[in-house]
Amino acid sequence: MDWSLVLGLGRFLLATTLILVLTIPTAFVVIQLELKIIAGAQLRYGPNRVGPWGMFQSTIHGFKVLAKEDHIPDQADRATFTLAPWMVYMAAAMSMLVIPFAPGAIAADFNIGIVYFFAILGLSVVGLLVAGWASYNKYSLLGGLRSAAQMVSYEIPLTLSVVGAVVLAGTLNFRELIEWQRAHGWMLIWQPVGLGIFYIASLAEINRTPFDMVEADSELVAGPFTEYSGMRFGFFFFAEYVSLFIMSGILVSLFFGGWLAPWPFPDQLDGFMGTLYGVLWFFIKTYLFIALAVLLRATLIRVRVDQLMGAAWKVLLPLAMVNLIVTAIAVVVFNL
Amino acid sequence: MRIPGFGILKGVRQTARNYWAPKVTNQYPESRPTMPDRWRGRLDLIYDPFGEHKCEVCFQCAQVCPVEAIDMSGFDSEGRRIRYGMPEIYDERKDPNAYRRAGLAAEPMRNAARWDEAIDTAWLHHVIDGFGGRPEALVAIFSAIQERYGYLPERALRQVSDEMTIHWAQVFGAAGLGGFRLLPAEGHLVTVCSCAACRFAGGDELLRTLSAELGIEPGEATDDGSWSLEASDEVAAGAQAPAIRIDTLVYGPLTVAQARHLVEERKRADARGSRPARARATVATRES
Repeated sequence: MDWSLVLGLGRFLLATTLILVLTIPTAFVVIQLELKIIAGAQLRYGPNRVGPWGMFQSTIHGFKVLAKEDHIPDQADRATFTLAPWMVYMAAAMSMLVIPFAPGAIAADFNIGIVYFFAILGLSVVGLLVAGWASYNKYSLLGGLRSAAQMVSYEIPLTLSVVGAVVLAGTLNFRELIEWQRAHGWMLIWQPVGLGIFYIASLAEINRTPFDMVEADSELVAGPFTEYSGMRFGFFFFAEYVSLFIMSGILVSLFFGGWLAPWPFPDQLDGFMGTLYGVLWFFIKTYLFIALAVLLRATLIRVRVDQLMGAAWKVLLPLAMVNLIVTAIAVVVFNL
Repeated sequence: MRIPGFGILKGVRQTARNYWAPKVTNQYPESRPTMPDRWRGRLDLIYDPFGEHKCEVCFQCAQVCPVEAIDMSGFDSEGRRIRYGMPEIYDERKDPNAYRRAGLAAEPMRNAARWDEAIDTAWLHHVIDGFGGRPEALVAIFSAIQERYGYLPERALRQVSDEMTIHWAQVFGAAGLGGFRLLPAEGHLVTVCSCAACRFAGGDELLRTLSAELGIEPGEATDDGSWSLEASDEVAAGAQAPAIRIDTLVYGPLTVAQARHLVEERKRADARGSRPARARATVATRES
């Protein structure tokens, strides 16, 4: 009997379960943050009735969604209609597997973690397209196509912007990338252009303002989710906020040193305390970026769809290419 | 020099500052707005400097109202009483709605037993005259009727409608909204307001207290029929949360002790036997 295999399997099962369970409170916290910060920016108080300081408002919303009627349109394709929310949610939950929370707190420490992350990211587009198609509603279908157009376009600069960092660090593993950042300083210093492209493209990729034309809460009904109700819609909604957390987490790991403290990481802290310390810093940084994304939502208006596409193909993509080539030349010339 | 993205950062700085800026929301049940003395919370016709209605009863507003909510009567330039519209249409369409609003079965007009209920028409005429036939006095007249009969007999309402030239639908609608009874009364009816504002301000606590005080659950009546308790969100207490209504009188804002005191006061009055319980209704002025 190969015990290491059983142990590895057990560890994997535990890790995936924990990650899946973690998505739910994460979504609640992010939604609550959004409610509160946007309310504050609009000179309102925001939720302040449910629980102390209204902190359970989003939780109550989540459970309310559970109690709602789950309607499937007559002509809808039942199988894909039920599968679509699951695909979108699983895309979010699965990409959480490679997020490096702290040394020793990575659910799956792949040596191709970055490739895996961007591959799984593409899955949510499929989910949205399927949702639009299965609803048997032309507006949903149009919404699905719009979301596919937007997300596929932005996936290219998003992925290319990271390649520069990957070339520099010489690894596709998130843990090794963060170790590299400990030795050489945060990637922010080495790849400022890459960071800019990544931030803009990641906002578009997860449909955040100013690129939220997929759902466009204020004008459209709900884009591809028009026919969804109850918990099926809840899954889309949750996935949106989990993706915000994931994108901020990946941004932090790629460019802001992941679990590293802003000052040199104390060497004596390893084992459990090191993990705790790392998790603490990871969450502080991640939630700072979530707060920034929410503030951006309170600040900016939506861009036009032609501006969105033009920015992706005419600005971000060439810029990412140039950034990658310059980085590659620099790596060769300066022998980094 | 313009730096791309700098304007966005300035915007973000502004929104972030707003987060800590003083908030403008009015936290209603805890902090109350101060209303001007003359605030009545309803639309009214305006008067000219000579004390006459400026409304000339031209019916233009009634004619263009898409839901036919406007309806009026008055005096034309010759001093004749006029009334707009076809009364039979209004009566037929609006009566069942008025009954439903009052929580009764629709089409009670065919209820011969109640229609035949005898009332003192001369007395009622005297009451209406006492108020000068002014439509504002409708509620006060209802109170007088309820004080005498314990409820509002349909015939009395008909007479009010005819004598005051107010549409039957309006008379009935007004009777259905303000704590008046349209069926013979049994004892006191205590209604605890269950609107959101009242519940935030402690309405649930009031309901529990009164339930314990009377020994009945909401929606029940005591065995001797002298008290019944209910929770409703149409006590129409205005900015008086938490409010209760005992028969036709609205009280608020109340503490638990005050609510208990009000009920005990009525119990003592009933025990003295100053009036039969069913006729112990009150004048319909609201405590402010």
